[in-house]
Amino acid sequence: MSGRLHLIYNAELMADHLGEFEQIVLLAVLRLGDDAYGVPIRREIEKQAGRKTTVGALYSTLDRLEAKGYVGSWFADPTAERGGRSRRYFRVEPTGVEALARAREMFDRMWKGVRLV
Amino acid sequence: MSDRPPKLAERLLRWLVPGREGEIIAGDLREEFRERGGGRLWYWKEALSCAAVRFSPHRLTAPDLRQDLHYAVRLLRRNPGYAATAMLCLALGIGVNATVFSMVNELFWQPLPVPHSDRVAVIGRSGDESVCSYRDYVEFQRRSGGLLTGLLAYDEMPTSVDSEGVSRMAMAEGVTANFADVLQLRAQAGRWFTAEDERPGADPVVVLGDGAWSRRFGRSPAAVGQRLRIESRWYRIIGVAPAGFIGVSPPHTAEVWVPLLSQRYVQEALANPGERERPRVRMIGRLAAGTSLRTVESGLRTIDAQILREFPRENPPRGGLTADVAAGASMPAVREFAGMMAALLLGVTGIVLLIACVNIANLLLARSAVRRREMAVRQALGASRWRLARQTLAEGLTISVGGAALGLVFGYFCSRLMARSMPALPHIGTVTLEGRIDWRVAAFAAAIGLFSALLFSFAPAIEQSRVGLTAWMKGDGPSKRLRQRDVYVVAQVALSLVLLIAATLLLRALGRAQQAEPGYAMAGRLAARIYVSEPEYSEQSGRLFFDRALARVRSTPGVRSATLSYTTPLGFTSSACVAPDAATRRRRVSSDVIVPGYFDTIGIPIVRGRQFTAADSGGAPRVAVINQTFADRYWPGEDAIGKTLWVGCDQKSGRVEAQVVGVARDAKYESLDEAPRPFLYTPLAQDWVGYMAMIVETSGNPADFTAPLRGILHDVDPSLRVYEIETLEQYAAESLWKTRWQASLLAAFGALAMALAAVGLYGVVAYSVAQRTREIGVRLAMGAQRGDVMWMVLGRGLGLTAAGIALGIVLSAMATRLIGRLLLGLSPLDPVSFGAASLAWLAIAMLATYVPARRAMRVDPVVALRWE
Repeated sequence: MSGRLHLIYNAELMADHLGEFEQIVLLAVLRLGDDAYGVPIRREIEKQAGRKTTVGALYSTLDRLEAKGYVGSWFADPTAERGGRSRRYFRVEPTGVEALARAREMFDRMWKGVRLV
Repeated sequence: MSDRPPKLAERLLRWLVPGREGEIIAGDLREEFRERGGGRLWYWKEALSCAAVRFSPHRLTAPDLRQDLHYAVRLLRRNPGYAATAMLCLALGIGVNATVFSMVNELFWQPLPVPHSDRVAVIGRSGDESVCSYRDYVEFQRRSGGLLTGLLAYDEMPTSVDSEGVSRMAMAEGVTANFADVLQLRAQAGRWFTAEDERPGADPVVVLGDGAWSRRFGRSPAAVGQRLRIESRWYRIIGVAPAGFIGVSPPHTAEVWVPLLSQRYVQEALANPGERERPRVRMIGRLAAGTSLRTVESGLRTIDAQILREFPRENPPRGGLTADVAAGASMPAVREFAGMMAALLLGVTGIVLLIACVNIANLLLARSAVRRREMAVRQALGASRWRLARQTLAEGLTISVGGAALGLVFGYFCSRLMARSMPALPHIGTVTLEGRIDWRVAAFAAAIGLFSALLFSFAPAIEQSRVGLTAWMKGDGPSKRLRQRDVYVVAQVALSLVLLIAATLLLRALGRAQQAEPGYAMAGRLAARIYVSEPEYSEQSGRLFFDRALARVRSTPGVRSATLSYTTPLGFTSSACVAPDAATRRRRVSSDVIVPGYFDTIGIPIVRGRQFTAADSGGAPRVAVINQTFADRYWPGEDAIGKTLWVGCDQKSGRVEAQVVGVARDAKYESLDEAPRPFLYTPLAQDWVGYMAMIVETSGNPADFTAPLRGILHDVDPSLRVYEIETLEQYAAESLWKTRWQASLLAAFGALAMALAAVGLYGVVAYSVAQRTREIGVRLAMGAQRGDVMWMVLGRGLGLTAAGIALGIVLSAMATRLIGRLLLGLSPLDPVSFGAASLAWLAIAMLATYVPARRAMRVDPVVALRWE
């Protein structure tokens, strides 16, 4: 049962390295601030990154990030539009912020001196 | 566009992601569905994508499955008795199945113990045991360069290996010099053959098998260089084959290997340059890199056709060449027999497993009764039916893991036992079965373990999940569940009775066969197989030897009579071709070559005419004696005396006309269970053969005469080859090995099945007593006698048994037809067997129900009425 169904990454389970999609999700949650739950997160990713994500892909990533301690979640009250179901809000934890920063630094180092013709 | 998302998709989503997380996701999708204004296809896609969440290890609900397993293990640890019983039952069921499967594995799939055995191909020809002649093989070798890196030829040769005056029948393989190269074999000691050893006039050399090396030389490296006498030649030992290599025709065990071209029969055949058909050989090749089996097969077929075109012959073979990976038994006859036995045995062991599974199901049901309150509360707290059922499945899975592991261990010991109990087939040589457990057997055990888990968990899981809180609170339920368990017990009794009846039938058939009239007098007689062979003897000196030997033995004190015969009663048999006249087609009949006085020694009366005398010598008119069936078949209603027969199979040496001078009474010639067959006797004086059995009638115990007889024979000629010496009764007993083996296996499995079912019966009755303690207390308080209570319980147990026996009899009546062929004339519906098995079961059932019945009897009504 090792998340092999997640279509995007090979090394997802290595806690230190954030995969590309994981970074995108974390950034989307950061951008949304207090309003980060499933529906707006997906909308934000689609708008900013131009990527259509399925709800399954999103939540399995969020689960993974939460297991690693990079995000935390809490539940809000149910609403009528959701058929009486609650919302699950996400926030990025300090460890998640660090991981994002590390990833960014790594890309900066790799990009340094590279010229695209 | 509808306002609500598709219900089915939502259900799927909830099934994929149960619990709160699923609710959240459903809520998300509902929101978006609204925003988008619909889109069923989109919703379905999203719902299906939730499979990713399900299989992610970090799901909120993942711990549930792990929790189930954890809980199951804890539960089993707290109830070790229940866990042990369940695992033991399953281990027994899986173990016997694994044992049979390991035999099947060895006979069908086990690869030859050579490096890269998947690249070694056995070349066969459909419809023919041998493949081609040696000269054809040479052509094949020359033309198959692209297909095979090496092609070897071999032939299986039953031969005799002599040491210290005892000759033993052994299997040898005559092989070409490239044998070890093609198979990539290394010698344990010394070396294998080289081209030098195949040169005409080269010193005869032999490679020993590991077993022979152990037995004769104690694995001493000094064996290399010593000499071994095989048939009438001395061979120099040049090496020892690797341990575990028993030749290229498993499970037949080759004891020694010799160069094919050093064998006389090969040299004689090849001396004739026009000879294209003999000697016959079989071939094995190693595939070239990158070629497939199919390519090689079609390539060889092409070469075969070329060879048959370029070298036409009288009897071209009809079947086509086949190439198969070297695995399992090489001879189709062995595979066929093994297949039949495997089917029968797996059916039997399958029944044993079924009975074991029913036991475990009953155990689980009993446990679920105890946990009804817990299940009811869980359900009230929101657990779904699936959730409750999953708990039971987890328990079942845990039991099956333990049971399968134990079963493999049990199967390992069982299969080694069975392998060792395989009787050495008389006159065919040793058969070696290892009884190994390899990955295929382990996979099989795991598979049937899983299957059993599903089987025995199914009903209890459904039961468990069906508990309703209100139903429990009302105190309902026991009666329905008991009925289900009753059905299971009845089924167990029935199934085990089927096995028991089958075993009883086989045992009775065996008993009958052993008592069957063989038509000979067996008591006090033994037979010694001797061989006067070329080049030490010619026909003339051989006859002289036989005369001298017979005279010596007959004059020995303690010997009543002695005679010679080519065949041994119920042992080695032979056949000849006969026809009543020159025009009719020849047919094969069983035959024997004897000396005058044979019928007296062996105890077969002559019913018409006379037996052979000294007057029927080589120069006299040819005579024959036939048996009653022969006379009835060829000359029905007439007197056979004086009729003539044409005897002879060989086209080249022609046939001879013989006159019938006597009719002997029918007897059993090959096995005690055969149908009457025609039989022909010819006198040794007119029909020479050097390989004879000396049959001696002694006044004392014939087994005591074995050593003295050997001594006498070696006294007459020290270099005589004397093979086995056995009493006629031993031959008779050996001829029934197949039936005996089947009967013992079936009896063992039947007993196991019965034991398991008895445990099941005990469990059900004990449980019902426990359930009805209060009722029993009430009865006792109301004045019932203790004896009445005991009978009440006994009655229940016996009632179940009776129902099971009735069902079992019906099932057996249908099933025993399948083994009708093995019963040697006994009716598959033999009432004695049916009756005996049923009575035996009844007795066991009384025992199994007696213990709980006594417990019921001892119930204290005061305690019982207080029990809640």
